[in-house]
Amino acid sequence: MFQNRAEALALALPAAIFAAAVFLVPVVILLSDGFRNPAGGWTISAYIDFFSSPLNQAVFLRTLKLGALVTVVSAVIGYAAAFAIVNLEPGMKGKVTGLVVLPLMISPVARTYAWIVILGRTGIVNQAFQALGISDVPLRILFSETAIFIGLLQLFLPLMIISLISALENMPKDAVPAARVLGANWFQVFWKVILPLTKEGLVVGGTLVFTGCLTAYITPAILGGSKVLMLETLMYQQVSVSNNFVAASVIAFILIVMSFAANILLKRVATARNKQRRAAA
Amino acid sequence: MTVARSLFIPLVLFLVIAFLIGPFLIIVAASFSAGETLAFPPQGFSLRWIAKVFTVESFRASFGMSMFLAIGGTLAALVLGIPASYALSRYKLPGAEIVRTIVSAPIIVPGIIVGLALLRYIVVPFQIGITLALFMAHTALILPYAVRVVSASLENLRSDIEEAAVLLGSSRLGAFFRVVMPNIRGGILSAFILGFVTSFNQVPVSLFLSGPGVRTMPIDMIAYMEIVFDPSVAALSSLLALMSIGIVFAAERFLGFSRYV
Repeated sequence: MFQNRAEALALALPAAIFAAAVFLVPVVILLSDGFRNPAGGWTISAYIDFFSSPLNQAVFLRTLKLGALVTVVSAVIGYAAAFAIVNLEPGMKGKVTGLVVLPLMISPVARTYAWIVILGRTGIVNQAFQALGISDVPLRILFSETAIFIGLLQLFLPLMIISLISALENMPKDAVPAARVLGANWFQVFWKVILPLTKEGLVVGGTLVFTGCLTAYITPAILGGSKVLMLETLMYQQVSVSNNFVAASVIAFILIVMSFAANILLKRVATARNKQRRAAA
Repeated sequence: MTVARSLFIPLVLFLVIAFLIGPFLIIVAASFSAGETLAFPPQGFSLRWIAKVFTVESFRASFGMSMFLAIGGTLAALVLGIPASYALSRYKLPGAEIVRTIVSAPIIVPGIIVGLALLRYIVVPFQIGITLALFMAHTALILPYAVRVVSASLENLRSDIEEAAVLLGSSRLGAFFRVVMPNIRGGILSAFILGFVTSFNQVPVSLFLSGPGVRTMPIDMIAYMEIVFDPSVAALSSLLALMSIGIVFAAERFLGFSRYV
């Protein structure tokens, strides 16, 4: 540990000043716009206006709903997948984990674009439905909440699976066999043994997925179109179509509060775990 | 083990991987189509759409722009981030937590907000060009990754070897370049790759900062697919994916990239 303060500041300040100037100060000013009263002083009337519009309410609720739904479904699929991966033999485990991580390196635009081919009017799903006689006319799957849900799930499922894999690997190896020997059925094993022991991994994965859904732009923009909006696409529309910067600031504040809340939760769980570890050691 | 359980694992894995990778394989297949529109199964086989990618003028321009932002932004983030990481891990820095929070904040705030704030309060008032604004935004975005990855590799390096170098008469700067840098080379390269891929695939930050003629690759792809529904975006997506997977695989193979991330 070096003690020279001037040297330390000279090394650290350029990065801090750059981040403050390019990022922190503009963002804080942007956020303050939503609280500024045109006649002077501060007000929350922009927030009351925002939430009194039925359209905005619908977008806000849809964002929360899709975020929650994607998080829950990815947790369910994630546990099954992570459990299956952890139980593979070592060589296979690495390869399958690689396949799960692979999509994270592919541009989200490309990954979202694929769903147009699959869900579009002449897409694979509609071709199959018509061939099987389920429907005569092409179904409208694209530009709906369903399409956004599928796109977001595919985008963020890998993050959940990775978080759960490391949680399951850190679990004591004999916990599950022990519970089985003592007569627990698989439901009880999951609920009373696996879930409590992997809670932190679930929270980490859940936070990543939930904040990812909140702040995803490409998926709702491409798969939701201009009618089925989420908060990010609504914000873009408010700026580029309506020039309404106050509404954009309100949405920005809501998004930041929601992602910060999720991140604080994440930190709290992480510190709780460290305390437990220290207590155990 | 019952039959039901022995079937469970392969079935779950098959379905999950099909869901995660399948759509992308469809895109790859569609890019070899001979037909006029994007469709699966592809109509015939040809390389015409792969070839077309290289002839679309806007793709060439936006690819160049994204390459510039990804490489330039990552280098700038490293130039700022390496000294900051070093100060955070080796010095008693007053306000260390504040510095750490400020440099890693751009990762928490949604990109679309960063882009809009920069446009409204830096670009417009100070009359900054779009390219410079994009460069600043991407640098700020990559900075948290650079600091995180470089800090992690500094933490893994014992600090007494550089203290020894200083005691033996090296200057602090000399010790850094001759003792520390060679040892964190892998971390720096990992930070570079992570920054490159993050910047190249980034959309929301660049959304408001793209003007006529100045577009990043992914934004240009979105704009193109809104107008033309031919397989060229599929072909381009396949080529770009090949590029980023290639980079990450090479990094993993030669550096053990995943140790640092």
